[in-house]
Amino acid sequence: MSGIDTNTTGAQAEVQAQEHGLVTAALRGALDVNTMGGLWRELEARLRPLKVVTLEVDASALQLCGSGGLALLRYLKTGGFTPLATVTVRGLAENLDQLLLLFADEDPEPPRPAPPGLPEEIGAAARSFARDLREQVCFLGTMAAELAGACVHVGRFRWKEVKRLCIAAGANALPIVSLLSFLIGLVIAFDSAAPLAKFGAQIFIANTIGYSAVRELGPLMTAVMLAGRSGAAFAAEIGTMKVNEELAALTTMGLDPIRFLALQRVTAGIILTPVLTLYSMFASVLGGMLVMLSLGFSMPEIYVQMATQVHLGDIGMGLGKSVAFGIIFSAVGCLRGFQTGQGPIAVGVSATRAVVTSILLVIIADAVFSGAGFILDK
Amino acid sequence: MNTANNIAIAVRHLAAGYDGRQILRDISFDVRRGEVFMIIGGSGCGKTTLLKHMIGLFPPIQGEVWIEGENLVSTQGESRERLLRRFGVVYQRDALFGSMTVAENVRLPLDEFTDLPEAAKEHVVLSKLKVVGLSGTANRMPAELSGGMQKRAAIARAMALDPRILFLDEPSAGLDPITSAGLDALIQQLAHYFGITFVIVTHELASINAIADRLVMLDAQSGTIIAEGSPAELRAQSPKPSVRQFLTRQATPGQMIKGVKVYECEEQ
Repeated sequence: MSGIDTNTTGAQAEVQAQEHGLVTAALRGALDVNTMGGLWRELEARLRPLKVVTLEVDASALQLCGSGGLALLRYLKTGGFTPLATVTVRGLAENLDQLLLLFADEDPEPPRPAPPGLPEEIGAAARSFARDLREQVCFLGTMAAELAGACVHVGRFRWKEVKRLCIAAGANALPIVSLLSFLIGLVIAFDSAAPLAKFGAQIFIANTIGYSAVRELGPLMTAVMLAGRSGAAFAAEIGTMKVNEELAALTTMGLDPIRFLALQRVTAGIILTPVLTLYSMFASVLGGMLVMLSLGFSMPEIYVQMATQVHLGDIGMGLGKSVAFGIIFSAVGCLRGFQTGQGPIAVGVSATRAVVTSILLVIIADAVFSGAGFILDK
Repeated sequence: MNTANNIAIAVRHLAAGYDGRQILRDISFDVRRGEVFMIIGGSGCGKTTLLKHMIGLFPPIQGEVWIEGENLVSTQGESRERLLRRFGVVYQRDALFGSMTVAENVRLPLDEFTDLPEAAKEHVVLSKLKVVGLSGTANRMPAELSGGMQKRAAIARAMALDPRILFLDEPSAGLDPITSAGLDALIQQLAHYFGITFVIVTHELASINAIADRLVMLDAQSGTIIAEGSPAELRAQSPKPSVRQFLTRQATPGQMIKGVKVYECEEQ
């Protein structure tokens, strides 16, 4: 016969192995999740190696048994530590005893669904891509129709909302656009100064700065910044409205959410992107000019050199691109907002998807513009 | 503070509010161990404000909240964290973590605050879910559950560390009467089986009459307690007509909306 006292904070057990495979376990103290960790390990360590035929658990000395403690009793009763033994639990308070009886039946949890295999994942991804593409096309079609409708009924258009969005997404973005564009101009000038100096051609920094800022970096960097800042905000705003059933409320009031919410945002995108792009071009050129001034060139020299390279058509090309980029980031932001699912993480997912898709589409569009520009210039 | 042995919570001269605005003043009452205690009153009277101050979410303007003999207001550091773990809270909108399964929600406090072995945690989670009547939902996401089931899952999570006290903020909000009655039955069972003390903010008359042992009623205008006792006592004997009206759901014709008079129709 052996006796062991397991001493835990508040919960204790005395396990005694007797003849013919009979083992008794006397529990005492307060049994809840805070006290039973050590007790669980001790009981497991002591009971598993024994050849138990009958296990008698005496719970009469338990001062307290929480619902967590009941898990241990249930585990003992269902033979968790002694799979081959007959287990009885006695001495439990009457109300808990009734509960333990109810607990005796095992309710198997439905198994977790098996993770999909590679073919299934590829199939699901392809289907999701096709569905997304279809939704994008439908959304663009609806947007175009609504825009045409808005042109016919200008008075019904919510210009106040457009003004608010232009301030929030445009005017408030001026500081960050200024800083980034200025620094990019500065970096390009510095980076091109050293290699051009080898050929005594540092004056051509003006060409590099002018051409890249006006045709490429101004529109692209502005669109990327707006996609990250305002596209995500559009998706989050509309997504939150969807989660809060505000979109459903609009629909049942007979208001089309695309006309009521997306049209204003896309209009704001079309207006503010070229304005910010123009500003970005100016800030980049300013950054490059500062570097050139520091290298000893005069303002007239820089201006003349830049004017030989950059023409009005280049500025037009840059601004034309920016309008397309504005449509892309604002429409994608709205679309992702409308596609928001359920639950608290859905809005975050929509905002992320809005940024990723916008930047991807902006760069694809930029590549198309560059290709077209190259062919037309020939 | 000398708290009697059977007092689970003692609120003393509590003044509460937010952003410099006082909503409640001189609130004092006791909650006895094992009872279902309700905080009731009309909309905007400060029920949830009182609850949030009782659970330490906001510091009171003045006064004390004693939980099982420890002052929640003045206790700091690790002692406060230990004290906070001695009660569970079920929020009005459940506050289940949407990115975790039901089982993971219930398991989270066990992972963070106990030294239970893995198998024990698994069985504790399943037991908690069984206690609240949610067997078979462990691997489902909260969004896949109905409103009543989400409430039960929130109760299971609040019970994860076997607290002696549970605070519930408007548990019946948004639930149909049958589901709400089922929730009332669950609260009664938990109080019966495990001796848990319940503090429930509600204005659901059916719940108040069905399961409240005692209650306090708050008044929006004065920001004080205007009634304390059992629902039956107050319904029959409260000297304040507004308390009797609230507990018997009587509207005063023509009083609620100025300029609108309610005419009683004679039966034909």
